[in-house]
Amino acid sequence: MSASTPLLQVSGLHVAYGKIAALHGIDMEVAAGEIVALIGANGAGKSTTLRTISGLLKPSRGSITWDGREIAGMDAERIVAAGIAHCPEERHIWPAMTVRENLMLGGYLCTSRAQVEQRMEQAFQRFPRLRERDRQMAGTLSGGEQQMLAIARALMSEPRLLILDEPSLGLSPKMADEVFDVVREINARGVTVLVVEQNVHNALDIASRAYVVETGVISTHADAASLLENPEVLSAYLG
Amino acid sequence: MDMLLQFVANGLVSGSFYALSALGLTLIFGLMRVVNFAHGEFYMLGGVLGWFVTTYLGLNFFVGLVVVVVAMAAFGWLVDRFLIERVRDQGEEPSILLTIGLSIFLTNSALLVVGTAPLNIAGAVPNAPVFLGPVVLTQMRLFAVAACAVLILAAYLLIRHTRLGRAMRATFQDPMAARLAGIKTAYVYASTFALGTVLAASSGMLLGSIYSVQVSGGGLISLKAFVVVILGGMGSFAGAIVGGLILGLAEALWGGYVSSGTVDVIGFLIVILTLIFKPYGLFSTQVERA
Ligand SMILES: Nc1ncnc2c1ncn2[C@@H]1O[C@H](COP(=O)(O)OP(=O)(O)O)[C@@H](O)[C@H]1O
Ligand SMILES: [Mg+2]
Repeated sequence: MSASTPLLQVSGLHVAYGKIAALHGIDMEVAAGEIVALIGANGAGKSTTLRTISGLLKPSRGSITWDGREIAGMDAERIVAAGIAHCPEERHIWPAMTVRENLMLGGYLCTSRAQVEQRMEQAFQRFPRLRERDRQMAGTLSGGEQQMLAIARALMSEPRLLILDEPSLGLSPKMADEVFDVVREINARGVTVLVVEQNVHNALDIASRAYVVETGVISTHADAASLLENPEVLSAYLG
Repeated sequence: MDMLLQFVANGLVSGSFYALSALGLTLIFGLMRVVNFAHGEFYMLGGVLGWFVTTYLGLNFFVGLVVVVVAMAAFGWLVDRFLIERVRDQGEEPSILLTIGLSIFLTNSALLVVGTAPLNIAGAVPNAPVFLGPVVLTQMRLFAVAACAVLILAAYLLIRHTRLGRAMRATFQDPMAARLAGIKTAYVYASTFALGTVLAASSGMLLGSIYSVQVSGGGLISLKAFVVVILGGMGSFAGAIVGGLILGLAEALWGGYVSSGTVDVIGFLIVILTLIFKPYGLFSTQVERA
């Protein structure tokens, strides 16, 4: 379905929290330049899949290849360095640090101060509201602004793949639209996107393809357009 | 009146040592959630090592201080990597037991090696008196206060304005987000512990050059550092400094006007009053941490 060699390929991924298995063999792939959505009911294992790709969790079995290289089980900080940025569920900005400090830390692996400044300038151009609030504590921002900050922070590492976990969580529909516009624009500039989203319509709107996760396995995989045309299929899977 | 000024000056001098020592404790707690009961022993080791490099080996005081800082940073780093690491994220009790065990081990090892006699550290400047109006201090005390201030300022700048300092605060506030940004959190924890150790050890060496180093005195030092941290607010940078100065002043005034034999009781009084009236300390850690 996707291009010849996928940028990211996940196969047979098993992950457990302690003794409790959460993923039982996830298979999926993402080609360079795509926006791929991962959808599914609460607790299906979407976040677990993302956390394992970005190195926060170690799989018990299975492989994750990134640009032809095996990265399963690698430490998170090496995976960021390899070009995968993960914008986690519930944002996880640093609330007691300023907007500027949050961004500086997003560019933690930059090789020079000038590089940090240059990327921060790009972030401020994309999110003018963050520039206005750059000395403000991140915890005092509104939900939408915090989500923008979380995305801007992830982009500070100039990733080739941006992973977004429920970017519209807790946002007003208008704010959510703004976030999705930004995601589209980021993708148009060449960043591949893997997004988990509760709002299936929003997800299928921006994605070209989608995987449906059901209790730790991929149950369906199709073009976003064809899923949108079959709402009854979707509701059967999403419960 | 003149006596009062003298007591205040004395209190501020010992208060700045308390502040520096408590800073190490509060940083390790504020950033790492580790209650370090071996803090006083790190302080004592700084003094013993300071005695060894200056009086015993004959190095210049400043060279000796640098040696102590480097050696104790390495020591703190290793303690974190090999001991604290094993109890990380397991709540506070395992780290309390671990550091109590470490304190017993360090005191007794030091007693075995250098014995019980007080050790004198050759000072950086002469112990000549300095007259500031009605107040008399010694050059050595003024120097030590200045050194404390420099170390406190250096720690502040490190935490506020360097890449490592930002990584420390980020790791404390949200370790997962820190890892996702590419921060090696294990190194950040070790660096934080090393910083706290260095602050304790350098105040141990500075104070040892004014009084003397008591190998078995770690317990009392830990106790006073805890008083300061409870008064100032667990994990608060400003609290450690203000709390240290308050304890120093209170002890000096009590010693001057009430009874000099019972100054150590002041610390307990302060803890009791703090816990009754301001249980989170003067600078609540809810607002400002480290
Ligand atoms: N930290 C955790 N510890 C234990 N179990 C967890 C943890 N996080 C998630 N789980 C379990 O793993 C399964 C998948 O969760 P998750 O990946 O968060 O689902 P989703 O993101 O699709 O809502 C759920 O059964 C959930 O209860
Ligand atoms: Mg989730």
